[in-house]
Amino acid sequence: MTYFRKRFSIISAIFEALIKPPETVDYPKGALMLPEGFRGALLFDTDQCIGCGLCVRNCPADALHMEKKSRDEYKLIHYPARCAYCGQCEDNCRHGAIYHSNQLVKPTDNPAGLIVVLKEKKEA
Amino acid sequence: MSKISIPIGPQHPLLKEPLSMKIDISGEKVLGGSLRLGYVHRGIERLAQKRNYVQTIHLVERVCGICSHIHTTTFCQAVESLLKLEVPPRAQYLRALMCELERIHSHLLWLGILAKHVGLDTIFMHTWHDRELALDVMEEITGGRVLHGANQIGGVRFDLDESHFPMIHANLEKLRSQILGLLDILENEPALIARTKGVAPVSQKTIRQYGVVGPVARASGVDVDMRRDNPLPPYDQLKFSVVTMPDGDAWARTIVRAEEIRESLNLCEMILEDLPDGEVSKRAPRNVPEGEVIIRSEAPRGELFYYLRSDGTDQPARLKIRTPTLAALCLLPVQMSDIQVADIPVVLAGVDLCVACADR
Ligand code: SF4
Ligand code: SF4
Repeated sequence: MTYFRKRFSIISAIFEALIKPPETVDYPKGALMLPEGFRGALLFDTDQCIGCGLCVRNCPADALHMEKKSRDEYKLIHYPARCAYCGQCEDNCRHGAIYHSNQLVKPTDNPAGLIVVLKEKKEA
Repeated sequence: MSKISIPIGPQHPLLKEPLSMKIDISGEKVLGGSLRLGYVHRGIERLAQKRNYVQTIHLVERVCGICSHIHTTTFCQAVESLLKLEVPPRAQYLRALMCELERIHSHLLWLGILAKHVGLDTIFMHTWHDRELALDVMEEITGGRVLHGANQIGGVRFDLDESHFPMIHANLEKLRSQILGLLDILENEPALIARTKGVAPVSQKTIRQYGVVGPVARASGVDVDMRRDNPLPPYDQLKFSVVTMPDGDAWARTIVRAEEIRESLNLCEMILEDLPDGEVSKRAPRNVPEGEVIIRSEAPRGELFYYLRSDGTDQPARLKIRTPTLAALCLLPVQMSDIQVADIPVVLAGVDLCVACADR
């Protein structure tokens, strides 16, 4: 009897599947539910950054680059295509200048998007 | 009948991963086979020598896309043991929670692939759907669905707070009811039994000869499990049983993995119940003192081995990773004799291929 019940439990599964909404999301049209702490696109707060370079030191993918001449003359560059979205830079930055949003990185066909100058500071 | 050699792979619809096999057949009978590996060799061990310890965590996470967490855990444990750093108990429990969730989703993935290979596509859909429940929990608590980035030297990078528990418990509960129902059906499914029972059995002796570990070994009656034999905290405080089967065929492997899913679900609940309070991480110095260490842990596919040598700088002097899949892959040619051509997918699925792990 159990055997038959198990074999025919498929019928209830079929009816369930008929009325259930789809499990997948119609991206990018549908609403994507990403958790709060999702490591998505990187955001940058220029005012907070002091150019210490700590984020560059531990970036595993060489996605951050710092051209530094002095304390007051430096350029911080991010290469999004290399970025592994690992969150190490966020962990390393003591000033909260670089951090993840919980949004997906939008695809782009603009090659200029491959090099993002996060901050450029020139001597006054 | 004359002998024909058919090449399978490195790109083949039957295989999800780049692996090249040559299988000799005569009519419907398989006479033998040989194996070629190395298509996804990325030189991770060498790369590790050029990166600092923090960067290497993210590197070893990419050894395998399914069991990424256990790689970082094992690596961090190796570094911590060189640093003689005591990891806070809460961090140990959180690591173990992730390991068990990973085992659940890895085994469910495998079950789905096996079902697909034997033609049970409905089961494939169900297992992969339910697997998302485990992945959702991991994404919610760590921020990454596959690459969790959960570990750091000295602890973990995430913490559970009150807001997480309802979701985790709800998902685990749902998983439990759905999976256990599914496993009940699977274990009595005549189509699956007919396709897997008695297919390519491997003896205990062969398993030991080839150094095979994990569920494949346990399905042949070799009672090894690093969580019990060489327990790193918190596994020494958790109660679980190690599942073994004597037969060594594809059916035994299915049952062993199905039982392990049940055990892991129990372990997850045990961990959540006993979760100690306190901090989740300790500060670790950048430079690691000179020395060498071996850490063995239980990945979803079997024993994972890390050897780490440090020369006192902030970069590993040598890192050796031995993944469980390499030995299991070497078992493939052994199994490729005295089977039918139609059994080839079952044999391929049975060892739980992960070529990326094996090639590194
Ligand atoms: S998220 Fe990771 S890979 Fe990307 S810039 Fe930050 S540290 Fe580098
Ligand atoms: S982003 Fe943070 S870590 Fe990086 S240079 Fe600026 S302040 Fe330093």
